[in-house]
Amino acid sequence: MSIEVKNVSKRFNKFTALDHVNLEVASGELLALLGPSGSGKTTLLRVLAGLESADEGRIFLNGEDATEDHVRERRVGFVFQHYALFRHMTIFDNIAFGLRVKEKKLRPSETEIARRVNELLELIQLNWVADRFPHQLSGGQRQRVALARALAVQPRVLLLDEPFGALDAKVRQELRTWLRRLHDELHITSVFVTHDQEEALEVSDRIVILDKGRIVQVGSPAEVYHQAISPFVYEFIGPANRIQGKLLLDAILSADHVQDARGLVGSENLVGYVRPYDFHISASPVANGGFRATLDQVRPLGQQVTLLLQVDGYEPGLRVQIPFREWQGLGLTEKSDAWVNARHIQLFAGNDLKSLESAQSWHGPGAGI
Amino acid sequence: MATRDFTLAQREPNWVKWLVISFALGWIILVVVLPLILIFAQAFEEGGKEYLQSVFSSDTLGAFKRTAIIALIVVPLNTVFGLTAAWSIAKFDFRGKNLLLTLIDIPFSVSPVISGLVFVLLFGAQGYFGDWLFDHDIQIIFAIPGIVLATLFVTFPFVARELIPAMQAQGTEEEQAALSLGASGLQTFFKVTLPNARWALMYGILLCTARAIGEFGAVSVVSGHIRGETDTLPLHVEILYNEYNFAAAFSAATILAGFGLVSLVAKRYMEYKIRKSLAKTGV
Repeated sequence: MSIEVKNVSKRFNKFTALDHVNLEVASGELLALLGPSGSGKTTLLRVLAGLESADEGRIFLNGEDATEDHVRERRVGFVFQHYALFRHMTIFDNIAFGLRVKEKKLRPSETEIARRVNELLELIQLNWVADRFPHQLSGGQRQRVALARALAVQPRVLLLDEPFGALDAKVRQELRTWLRRLHDELHITSVFVTHDQEEALEVSDRIVILDKGRIVQVGSPAEVYHQAISPFVYEFIGPANRIQGKLLLDAILSADHVQDARGLVGSENLVGYVRPYDFHISASPVANGGFRATLDQVRPLGQQVTLLLQVDGYEPGLRVQIPFREWQGLGLTEKSDAWVNARHIQLFAGNDLKSLESAQSWHGPGAGI
Repeated sequence: MATRDFTLAQREPNWVKWLVISFALGWIILVVVLPLILIFAQAFEEGGKEYLQSVFSSDTLGAFKRTAIIALIVVPLNTVFGLTAAWSIAKFDFRGKNLLLTLIDIPFSVSPVISGLVFVLLFGAQGYFGDWLFDHDIQIIFAIPGIVLATLFVTFPFVARELIPAMQAQGTEEEQAALSLGASGLQTFFKVTLPNARWALMYGILLCTARAIGEFGAVSVVSGHIRGETDTLPLHVEILYNEYNFAAAFSAATILAGFGLVSLVAKRYMEYKIRKSLAKTGV
């Protein structure tokens, strides 16, 4: 079922949580709402669910205006960050809850309820926990139960509020994969909130990036990652080195690929971003320029090595990531000099540092194709 | 290894430990246990038969009946009030929430005698509504309604005070989950909110009942001590005592003490249950 958000605003006292938000979610899509805390992502989700009401604007579910509908009439499944399982009920009763509170005419028989619950327990691969209580389960198991409970009433939309936020890294990774697979099986329109860009990139069909109550960019994971429209999005979606001034010029001269900079000549506000893995490091000067840096710290992280480089006249330094094998081949040690080329630089310019949307590729001087 | 939170540095010499423990223990025996034993000793002084006779005398039974009636009226009313107040304070944000919390505490801070006097000032013969009540032949002061009102006032914080922290600790997410699953407000209340708070509620009811049965000060002011009409169990004990009828006074007192002991055990059990259910809240 499709969702349409039209011009929705929401204020809490003086704080503007949502500022004229417009959004469309296609039927069967898995959409991520991504943003820092206070960006309004959870508020938007709660407005969709009817747990919060919008001050302005309208919500359409399946093309019908649902703005005034109460949460129990919207038929949306909601999954909370802290599970919100009914702690005094067994897992079975938790999942059966939504079916048992239906009015008599619509309520399935107890045998039918049992059948449905067992089916869902099968789906979440937890059929052996039916008689246990929530506190006897691990966090990951509880969240799967919460999902089954939400699915029991056959919701039209599934809304998940930082569903993996309270779990440890390993379980989070497992559940991400599991959620994606579940969605591919059920095709239920789903929206989930997260502040973890990796999670959004990995799980969702499309990502909506919010900042200060506004949507700043919507796109596929590849789009928002590679075609960020603002420094905010670029920095938020992944680690990046923000460079300016002379270093930026040096970097541009050393680069294989720079986003169109022709329109930027004379622009005072010009910043460039380079992802940590978009650098090339050599032990000696190379033909197509490159600038010199001092190797300050080396942090091996398994198959990747993080290098912290110091560049003259550039206080923050650069964070570079190269494969471990490449690092081994370089023969560099801490405090030795290295020559750096940027492979790809993303530029932002203008007073508001708005993106260069009509960007074309521009090849740096030394980059022979 | 370290099962206690004491480090070596915090450990006092043994004699300090024993001194402190024996002082605490001795004090409790002196001011709590001995008087309690004394009540039963005095009650049975003239033998078991006499004890049963005075417990089952019509006066004592009458006082017991009035006390029970008052508790049966007051406790349900204050339970409903406590639930409403706790629900509104724990689950909603509104202006004046702190004021409401403070108001609920008033009976704790005001002397029960004053509480009783307030009702005399309002409904007594010389009170604000005295003439009107007299004209309509309604007796409140020096009658059961007055005692009910005074007890109601004195005991109204108990249920609310126990429920508020329990409900606040629960948060509102489970209720939101219930609503999103299609439950109505009433279903949410009876299937989610109430079961979660049930031990805190029982505990509050127990404290409320204990106080309703044992209240002396406020009741003493409004009852007028009319023997066989307005004396509750605590007042009855006082009347008997003032008549130098010690054995009978202590016999009646054993009923109150017995209830106190039973509620103490129940209280411990409920505290244990509340702690356990709160522990389950943890993520």
